[in-house]
Amino acid sequence: MNVSALPRPPSSRRVLLISLSVLLIALMLGMEQLAPLFRALFPDQDPAMYQRESFLNLTLAHLALVLVSSLISVSVGVAAGLFVTRPAGREFEPLVSTLAAIGQTFPPAAVLAIVVPIAGFGFVPTLVALVLYGLLPVVQNTVAGLGTVPSQTLEAARGNGMNAWQILWRIELPLAMRVIIAGVRVSVIINIGTATIGSTVGAKTLGTPIIAGLVGNNLPYVIQGAVLVGLLAIVTDLAFERLEQRFSFGESGKA
Amino acid sequence: MIELQGLTKRYGETRVVDDISLTVEQGEFCVLIGPSGCGKSTTLKMINRLIAHSEGKILVGGEDITSLPPERLRRRIGYAIQSIGLFPHWRVADNIATVPKLLKWPSSRIAERVEELLALFQLDDDGLQDKYPHQLSGGQAQRVGVARALAADPDVLLMDEPFGAVDPLTRDTLQAELARVHRQTGKTIVFVTHDMDEALRLASRVALLNAGQLVQYDRPAELLVAPANDFVRDFIGRADLGLKLLSRRRVEEYCRPAQRTRNNAIASAPITWQVDADDRPMALLGGRLGEPETARTVVNPEWTATPEMSMKEALSRMVWFRVTALPVLDVEGRLLGEVTMSGVMGHRP
Repeated sequence: MNVSALPRPPSSRRVLLISLSVLLIALMLGMEQLAPLFRALFPDQDPAMYQRESFLNLTLAHLALVLVSSLISVSVGVAAGLFVTRPAGREFEPLVSTLAAIGQTFPPAAVLAIVVPIAGFGFVPTLVALVLYGLLPVVQNTVAGLGTVPSQTLEAARGNGMNAWQILWRIELPLAMRVIIAGVRVSVIINIGTATIGSTVGAKTLGTPIIAGLVGNNLPYVIQGAVLVGLLAIVTDLAFERLEQRFSFGESGKA
Repeated sequence: MIELQGLTKRYGETRVVDDISLTVEQGEFCVLIGPSGCGKSTTLKMINRLIAHSEGKILVGGEDITSLPPERLRRRIGYAIQSIGLFPHWRVADNIATVPKLLKWPSSRIAERVEELLALFQLDDDGLQDKYPHQLSGGQAQRVGVARALAADPDVLLMDEPFGAVDPLTRDTLQAELARVHRQTGKTIVFVTHDMDEALRLASRVALLNAGQLVQYDRPAELLVAPANDFVRDFIGRADLGLKLLSRRRVEEYCRPAQRTRNNAIASAPITWQVDADDRPMALLGGRLGEPETARTVVNPEWTATPEMSMKEALSRMVWFRVTALPVLDVEGRLLGEVTMSGVMGHRP
């Protein structure tokens, strides 16, 4: 999981991030231009290019779903992680960890099956499934990250006259941030992939061409959707890697 | 000034600190010492309310410490622990500025104060203030820790085994530096250690604790010469009591006039120093064990003494180099006098 430990100079990671981002944007805007290529590769498929919706719209809808679900997962997850590491909430730690774990054990498809009858088809049930699914890594890493702050550091903070808020904002959160961001990274990457199944209940995502391709036995559709989802996940992962490094405080690349 | 009055800390039925009363006068360097679990650290942490006391009273500067919020109290009392207590995500300058920032000093005043402290602790090398704690050596990190504790110019400084994690050589330097800073600033310091040599070196008063109780509170020399009971004697270390005593004494207390000559001729005294035109000793005539009184030994910088050197070190040099006398030199290397083996024995403690 710790990609940043790879023995690669950071500058080449940046080049990779930039070139993959360019590729992603190009495909998002101009997938349709590749129609001749797909026709040549799959002469028996007609049509060989998904055309019911533009890939730009699909990608933006996909991103919107991931963004909203991740925002909820992260706010709820970090808040829960903070709560159970404060003196007042310490006894709830096992309960919260268990709940978050259950959220992840539940297959997203099962969550969809339960939520669709209640909330109907489309965006909302997918959102619920993604939020539940993305919660665990955030909660876990928030608790773990706050746990890595040495007790001597906390004692020094208290001894120098910081109050509980100052200790949290100036010491604990910055020191835990790397681990928390790693949790958010896992959560968001999982959600980018998992969001595709939202298309089974009618949410507009990059899963839509994939599902259509699977149902209609059209491999080009599957490839067109999957390539964009894959690129989106890799670019996001590389971007998070750079974000994590901002909280390394002079220890370049050390976890 | 710090006053502990009947200070007690109970955890359930156990009294980890039991009815301790003592006064640390303004400018005093008080060392709390004792075996593990004697309550010395707990006592220290009760002074800045990191641990709440169960009974008794603590006055800092005449004020009961419970009369103001703990954060306000702690910003008025410097606190230094082992170097790991530095904030790892803050650069050296930010670490030092911790308390001034909490007190919302204007940034120009903070920058000025940081400069001042870096200079005081000889940390003003290029770029050091922009380094992160993990980029520092153990000794530098520890200096930063003490500088941080002094940043808001508190009257009182609490130090909890601050030099416990550094190597002996660095510890020696840090101790010398702390002694200098104490002399220069006149702060009241309460210092916890389990190292008797450290206590004897730094303290103006030593509080020896055992099982939560204060066994003896005295000046270091008194502790050595008049230990209250066998526990004190054992804790100081019966075997090298004499050496410990010498470690508290400085060469200047034992220094006496030296016999000089400009040539090889033996003067009347059994120990004579041959000096050059600038009064720098060149050789020792006589004074070498197992050799004739006329033996001439060229003075080696390693067996000279300075007035500030501890007598323990001077004695050690005499034993190591098999000479019965060391020349005492001033900063220019000129002969001030001599310390001799018989002088060590003759001096009354």
